[in-house]
Amino acid sequence: MKKILLILIISLLTVFGLANEEKTIAFEEPVLITSGGQSPGALQMMVLAKTGGINYEFVKDIEPTAENLAAFKTLIIVIGASGKGLGAAGIDVDTELERLVQLVNIAEEKEIKVILAQIEGATRRGSSSDKITDALTDFADYLLIKSDADEDGKFTSISEEKKIPIRFFEKTSDVKDILKELFL
Amino acid sequence: MKKVVLLMIVVGLIVSLSFSAVTAQTVASSLGMVAAANPYAAEVGAMILEKGGNAIDAAIAVSFALGVVEPYASGLGGEGYAVVTLANGEEFAVDFKSMAPKMATYEKLKELGLSISKAKSTPKGALIPGIPAGIQKMLENGASMSLEELIQPAIDLAREGFIVNDTFAGVTSDNYEKLLELAPEFLKDMLLWEDGDLFKNEALAQTLELIKENGIDCFYHGQIADQIAAYMEENDGFITKEDMQNYIPYVTEPVYGTYRGYDIYAPGSPVSGPQLIAVLNVLENFNLEVMGPYDPLAVHIIQQTLVLEDVDRRYYISDPAFYDLPIEGFMSKDFARLRAMLIDLDEALDPDTYFDYLGDAYPFQEGKTYEEVILAEEKEAAMAIAENYESPSTTHFSVVDKYGNAVAWTQTLSSFFGTVSYIGGFFMNNELGNFASSYRPGDIINLEPGLRPRTTICPTIIKKDGEVKFVIGTPGAGRIISTVTQLIVDLIDFEMPVDEAVRMPKFVGYAYYKDVPMEEGFPESTVQVLEAMGHDVSIYEYPDLYFGGPNIIAVEDDGMMIGVGSIRRNGAASAPEM
Repeated sequence: MKKILLILIISLLTVFGLANEEKTIAFEEPVLITSGGQSPGALQMMVLAKTGGINYEFVKDIEPTAENLAAFKTLIIVIGASGKGLGAAGIDVDTELERLVQLVNIAEEKEIKVILAQIEGATRRGSSSDKITDALTDFADYLLIKSDADEDGKFTSISEEKKIPIRFFEKTSDVKDILKELFL
Repeated sequence: MKKVVLLMIVVGLIVSLSFSAVTAQTVASSLGMVAAANPYAAEVGAMILEKGGNAIDAAIAVSFALGVVEPYASGLGGEGYAVVTLANGEEFAVDFKSMAPKMATYEKLKELGLSISKAKSTPKGALIPGIPAGIQKMLENGASMSLEELIQPAIDLAREGFIVNDTFAGVTSDNYEKLLELAPEFLKDMLLWEDGDLFKNEALAQTLELIKENGIDCFYHGQIADQIAAYMEENDGFITKEDMQNYIPYVTEPVYGTYRGYDIYAPGSPVSGPQLIAVLNVLENFNLEVMGPYDPLAVHIIQQTLVLEDVDRRYYISDPAFYDLPIEGFMSKDFARLRAMLIDLDEALDPDTYFDYLGDAYPFQEGKTYEEVILAEEKEAAMAIAENYESPSTTHFSVVDKYGNAVAWTQTLSSFFGTVSYIGGFFMNNELGNFASSYRPGDIINLEPGLRPRTTICPTIIKKDGEVKFVIGTPGAGRIISTVTQLIVDLIDFEMPVDEAVRMPKFVGYAYYKDVPMEEGFPESTVQVLEAMGHDVSIYEYPDLYFGGPNIIAVEDDGMMIGVGSIRRNGAASAPEM
């Protein structure tokens, strides 16, 4: 009996997970790409958006003001805390988090869709990166996650618990085509 | 399907490279040994030994191969130093340090509105590279195989590719912004290389082919020199073709010292061999053996010694072609005795006063004893100190062959990716950053055309009773002498197995560090006692590349060689099976 119940729960969760993954959502351009932790991931996202023909602007550490967000329909935050990157920007993770939380709050007010992306995989997971992820998920409309960043199921759980559509990919270069799909 | 074909090609390449070599992080063999920062490079060396080459042949092949598989840490655009001991009892060293080009002066920089720190990240930061010339000198001094044979494995690796590891991916990621701007062709369709990718470098394969066909001369006088000069002209660098033609490597004697009955052969000025010998001379005054590697008193004594000799280094080590400095005095046992007397066994020196403790090595150069010097109460005023940031880049490898020849070789671009000037598939160094940040009267590392900057690399060979016992070296910039010293103390004083010595957490003594960086792993009580002595301890995660990445070989009494690749950088040891 227990086994049947377990299978049923797993099946439901799987269906739910798939549903989350398959759920389509319309994103519009222009797009603002910014970093969530000052790792090189945001710069890679900029390259992917450029090669994917997306109408974007890239400001790694954009100041969170309504004016700065006024021109955009979608905000992509590329999560990845880098000690070197934060150091180069002269900030710590808490200062970065403060900027990001203000940014997503403004995005919500202005009905700008938010995509949280983790495109550097397992090597960019860590307590600081996770802290940023946890603080921003309530504002996310979509999760774009490199598969090996989800080895512990963190992003799957977030997607399921908060009912946020999620899209996994294997290679960073796959993101180019995904962006094309999302912004068609 | 494409993936399967790719995998088959890679497996084929690895098989063809490896013959029957054994490669792992720790390897034991009596047939020869290579330890390097990358398994492909270590395996290339073992393959050369297996083909009948000697340690010098293997070292040349490894140097070329490292330039392919670690293009961020060394390569044709870099520099270095090698120490060789031969089975017949002879020893020599090759100094292939980079040299400041003719146009590189403070006046020129000022005219351009640049400082050393700004210029070092531009093509102006590149000094005339020395690695190809160093290889040429090694070919002329003991190699038994031809350049064509020794360069071929590197050409194959560049052309057929190799699997990117997490060190490659991580270092590239840390430098992505610069690479995207200055060397996008190095990237994977402008994105980062990922762990497991196949990396090929056809441009480098072609450059290496040119060297194979025309000899190393073409790097300094021919087509490659033209390429470098053209790049520099186009990108406002300093190096001209005339500079390339004027570059000279030196074949010289290693500096010599002893430590508890062992013979130490280390590189001379302008690198840190004399400092290592000075450190060991001081440590010989303390009975470390009764303490142990985790004893806070041992850590304290070693750390304070490292600081004192780092202060001295800044006054006594520079390019010997430009400065006549008291190196023999600096390396004398009597000078060390006086330095040892400065170490307070229960209290750390105040970091703000480190430079007040400069030792005067000049009287010892004249052969005075420490008693005579104390009585004469001689003292010199301190000079201005150059501010000097040093990156944890660089690479070191060690080779021992079955005949007993040994090579310790360290090569570098200074920072990872150097100036990011990408020419013919290789990067140019940024050694300019090792000169004094601005002109200071009397300073021995002021920028001058033709001068080779002082750096901390220290490839070292240790012998006992005429036999090679250890071949040691590490990257790690300002941490190099700390790590090499700890390896030597762990191996000799504490009789630690060589793999354990590599794994041991490390700490640093450096005159510019007000804290004592320590890798995780020391007992809490050790840290607490050090803090009680006045040390400001900073704990780093274990393992951390910051503390270097030694690739070392130990030779046991029965001739068995134990090679250990760095755990901090995916290093490997490799040995021939025949």
